[in-house]
Amino acid sequence: MLSRRTRIALAVLVVASLTFVILDLRGGEGPMSSARSAISAVTGLLQRGAATVFSPLTSAGDWWTTWRNQAGQIAELSQENEELQLALRQAEADRARANALDELLRVATAGRYRVAPAEVIAVGPAQDYAWTVTIDAGSLDGVEREMTVINGQGLVGRVLKVNQTTSTVVLLVDASSAVGGRVATTEEIGIVAGTGRQDSLDFQLLDPLAELVIGDSLVTFGSRDGRPYAPGVPIGEVVDITGTAGQLTRVATVRPFADVSQLSIVGVVIRPPREDPRDSVLPPRDEEAQSAADEQQETSNDDETAGEDANTEEQQAVDDGASTQDQEAQ
Amino acid sequence: MIIRQGLVIGVPLLLASLIQVTLLSRLGLPGATPDLLVVTVVAVALAMGPIQGAFAGFLAGAIIDVSPPSDTVVGVNSIVYLAIGFIAGYIVDTRDRTVLGMIVIAALACGAASLGTAALDAMLGSPRVIWESVPVITLTSTLYGALLAPLVIPLMDWLTRKLAPEVFLEG
Repeated sequence: MLSRRTRIALAVLVVASLTFVILDLRGGEGPMSSARSAISAVTGLLQRGAATVFSPLTSAGDWWTTWRNQAGQIAELSQENEELQLALRQAEADRARANALDELLRVATAGRYRVAPAEVIAVGPAQDYAWTVTIDAGSLDGVEREMTVINGQGLVGRVLKVNQTTSTVVLLVDASSAVGGRVATTEEIGIVAGTGRQDSLDFQLLDPLAELVIGDSLVTFGSRDGRPYAPGVPIGEVVDITGTAGQLTRVATVRPFADVSQLSIVGVVIRPPREDPRDSVLPPRDEEAQSAADEQQETSNDDETAGEDANTEEQQAVDDGASTQDQEAQ
Repeated sequence: MIIRQGLVIGVPLLLASLIQVTLLSRLGLPGATPDLLVVTVVAVALAMGPIQGAFAGFLAGAIIDVSPPSDTVVGVNSIVYLAIGFIAGYIVDTRDRTVLGMIVIAALACGAASLGTAALDAMLGSPRVIWESVPVITLTSTLYGALLAPLVIPLMDWLTRKLAPEVFLEG
């Protein structure tokens, strides 16, 4: 049977765990939260280091799929080939990161969000059922709690906790997340709640009689002072509607634009736009994208001038914004 | 001596937690994330005994609960892992340690850990647990545990024999 010493040690450990649970559930500021933030500051730093070491393996994102398809081929590769592969993967990862950053900049410029770019360095284990990630930007980069996190596709989530050099982000698909959403075409508003599944969100219209069709895009409604959600950020696309108009609970399934399983570069919205960008940030619909591509081909000769035009226009708009700001200041 | 034992237990757990959140959970494997931390707790229990196993479980749970990006209630994983570490160390017969037996223990521990944390989280009012995906998560977690065990358990045995021979359970 157990010795006396063992029993005491066991009891101490169990009591300590239960104390943690009670202190944490009580919430608010206390010894638990300060200890937690102190420790997570350290582990956050360690995670940054570890993420750098593992980046050739993880930043490609679809490492698992690639590996599964090519398992046979990879087995035949010689040592030299493996090294080349690693270098190639690193280059691909860099390119993917550059593309992600470009997309993020596009969204940020179109919506005039001021963003701090960051990289996802750690992801919570699936068996926690919590969709939370660590990013490598913290209070030193201007990140604060309850800021919006976006990427090139759309809304990613909001900042939950901040340390000096890292922050924890809760993704919009997390079951505890709820975002005010607006249908881009009809301006109807509702609540977009996470389901805990990576590819679906629940959208509940506030007006049960409102019209909603499959394919409608949702953007964020925006919160007061842009916290936790800046206005006009693309959320997702309606893929399924349950219930008919007028029914008390009418829920639509929404597929988020941002693929949360393959997050790499994200941006924290440090300052939301002065005006709601409406749906100007939404990705172009298929036919629009097609016609835009055709147009581009036709006018490829005038590309330079067109580009300049766009630039001046943008400059103009920025100037406008600045001048209104000046007036307000006066 | 007790400090050295603490380090032999603590440092591998810290490394395991780092590998788990920065590498394993980002590979996008189907189902659960390979639970390296639980396998390490089991490895400690098998190498040193139930009370060290329980301590390792407590520590592992505390590390994963307070490190980013965790947003679960602190202490839940501690309780579950503590029980797992203690039981793993208690039921194993040190005179008869077979490879298969240890793999089975580690695999069952991983399954029990994901099931236990889900149940405890749900009892504490977490809105996140999706019961439909619990079976898949539990099964895959068990499978990954079986795969990790042959790598982690011998390593932990070797570490214990080298650095803390006084607590190593001779077979």
